[in-house]
Amino acid sequence: MIPSADILLSLTLLSVLLALTSHRLILLIYTLAFQGIAVSLIPLFHEHNQAMTMGSILMLQVMIVIKGILIPGLMLSAVRKIKIPREIDPLVGYHASLFIGLIIIVVSAFIADRIQGSLPGKHSVLIIITAITTLASGLFLLMSRGKAITQVIGYLMMENGIYLFGTALAKQTHAQHIVEFGVLLDLLVGIMVMGILLNNINNTFDDVDTVHLGQLKH
Amino acid sequence: MLEFTCLIPFITGIITIFLPIRIGRGILVLTALVHFILTVMAWLGNAKPALPQYFSTSPEGLLVLLVTSFIFLFISIYAVSYLSETEITSEPIYIGCTLFFLASMSMAALADHLIVQWIAIEATTLMSAPLIFLHRSKSALEATWKYVLICSVGIALALLGCFFVVLAMEIGHVQGAITFTALNKAATQLNPLWLKTGFIFLVIGYGTKMGLAPMHTWLPDAHSEAPSPASALLSGALLNCAFLGVYRSHQLLFQAGLGEFSGNILIGFGLLSMLVSAVFIYNQTDYKRMLAYSSIENMGIIAFGVGVGGLATYGAVLHLIHHSLIKSSLFLSSGNILLGYGSKLIAKTGNMAKVFPKTFVAFFAGFVGISGFPPFGIFVSELLIIMGTFQQGRSISITIFILALVLIFAGASRLVMKMSFGKWDDEILLDETMARVLPSYALLLTSIILCIWLPDSLYQKILSAIATVGGSING
Repeated sequence: MIPSADILLSLTLLSVLLALTSHRLILLIYTLAFQGIAVSLIPLFHEHNQAMTMGSILMLQVMIVIKGILIPGLMLSAVRKIKIPREIDPLVGYHASLFIGLIIIVVSAFIADRIQGSLPGKHSVLIIITAITTLASGLFLLMSRGKAITQVIGYLMMENGIYLFGTALAKQTHAQHIVEFGVLLDLLVGIMVMGILLNNINNTFDDVDTVHLGQLKH
Repeated sequence: MLEFTCLIPFITGIITIFLPIRIGRGILVLTALVHFILTVMAWLGNAKPALPQYFSTSPEGLLVLLVTSFIFLFISIYAVSYLSETEITSEPIYIGCTLFFLASMSMAALADHLIVQWIAIEATTLMSAPLIFLHRSKSALEATWKYVLICSVGIALALLGCFFVVLAMEIGHVQGAITFTALNKAATQLNPLWLKTGFIFLVIGYGTKMGLAPMHTWLPDAHSEAPSPASALLSGALLNCAFLGVYRSHQLLFQAGLGEFSGNILIGFGLLSMLVSAVFIYNQTDYKRMLAYSSIENMGIIAFGVGVGGLATYGAVLHLIHHSLIKSSLFLSSGNILLGYGSKLIAKTGNMAKVFPKTFVAFFAGFVGISGFPPFGIFVSELLIIMGTFQQGRSISITIFILALVLIFAGASRLVMKMSFGKWDDEILLDETMARVLPSYALLLTSIILCIWLPDSLYQKILSAIATVGGSING
């Protein structure tokens, strides 16, 4: 394993902590975009196989585009278009969130240490720690933030964790293409964001319509 | 070709979106009929899968498919009448999504590949979300959001579960496709630790969709906000498909010799679901939510029965069939009640026996059925589960089981009595019609008939379905 994978993993861990403490919605989305790119790049360095097929390279590019550009872009446009307030109103405070994030890292390190022995092949412990941390923190973010868009962001982070897990566990020969199906979860995320976008627009239209009807009546 | 069962509803679904409403309604019923015929053909073994590496006709899948197709036929007849009475802005989308929903459920029932099943269950979430959001109210939006988000988290965890099962394959050096057929054959070579971990994630993931407590929180909202034909589909068909995911995982663990581990987990979730619904059903103010909590209870009963094994598993599969029939009938009746009284609140209904005699017969008979009284099938299935559990000597579980049943009956009967015979003297909004009552009657009648006379092919199918999880009629 090349050390650059470790650098990417550490950056992912940092982005998790940054996401837990960020006050600003826009910053949170940028953090997630960065995390998405880092997570999609990891297989490139992690795969202990030298022979990357055309298919897996293509997949990598698709992942970067979806996780790093498409979905964050969609979220940004949702935030801009429907004027979601830029402040995040957390149900759990920022400092408490950071603290919980750190606890999650410690617990994941413990779990990773335990399960590493039963895994086939040589694995870096760091990738399993990062995967569990990202997954659990995403779930925590999803539960502890009130807005619909922040819940989607939490879900996205959780999904990044699952993708990392899949990468860590994937067989060297990559005979079973199942990690790639994680893309379908991105589809769900995309649809959720579209839901936010469309419904808010619909609602304002409805409001306008009923106001007009009321005025005509009187 | 077996895949037609999924393809035909999908194609007709696309077509109906672009067609006028009247033709769309006709196509809905026609597709339901064609789907039923295809299902019967598959049942008789006349349809072979074109892609055997992804699809197969497992007995449990065929059972769920038959139940789904049968109740879909009656629900679509009801839906035609229901849709013409209510004002819906986007009816073509409703009809289209119902058909997509049918397609994805058929796919889940027939899937053999681990990932194909996962995709199918994810697709059911996406296809049914527009059905819940049909009325476009604020509460419908909230219910849809909750449904999509919670089920998506569940489905993500289920994917992780699939990863772990594949990992168990790799550690055990098992080659071949990741289909349930292949995995079951090589089950003993799989790594038990990762298989168990995978099972836990799969149960949490698919259990969320199935409505097992404590992951059930989306279910009452979604069922009460969806229009009644959609609620009937959600409760009668979708929950079974999600259950199939849990059942197949349990099957895999049983084949690997870990049946006790997975069975105990299912018993735990089952009892918890029953207790939760017993608590929440007691002071319910909304009758559709009451029915939704009853669905959670019944899914708990099924999970419990499958977990216990032996005779109880036979009871659980019977319970699945009869619950689908009776509960979808109840939701259809609740649609008539909603149209008639114009409110989902129990306090705003009453004296149904006088005002809506035909609906009253269906609703009350459905309630009697769901509470486990003869001549309806749930009487037999619950009795078999209780007997089976006694045979296994699980006295504490069965005490909790019976206690929860009694509590739920006590809680729900108070509400149903109020709705049926309570005081009410107001104008009714819309009278009942035969088209909206007959489907409920037909579903209830089927439950009675199946209770008295179980066709031999159905009986054999159930036996071969439960044999793989250690269930048998001889205890």
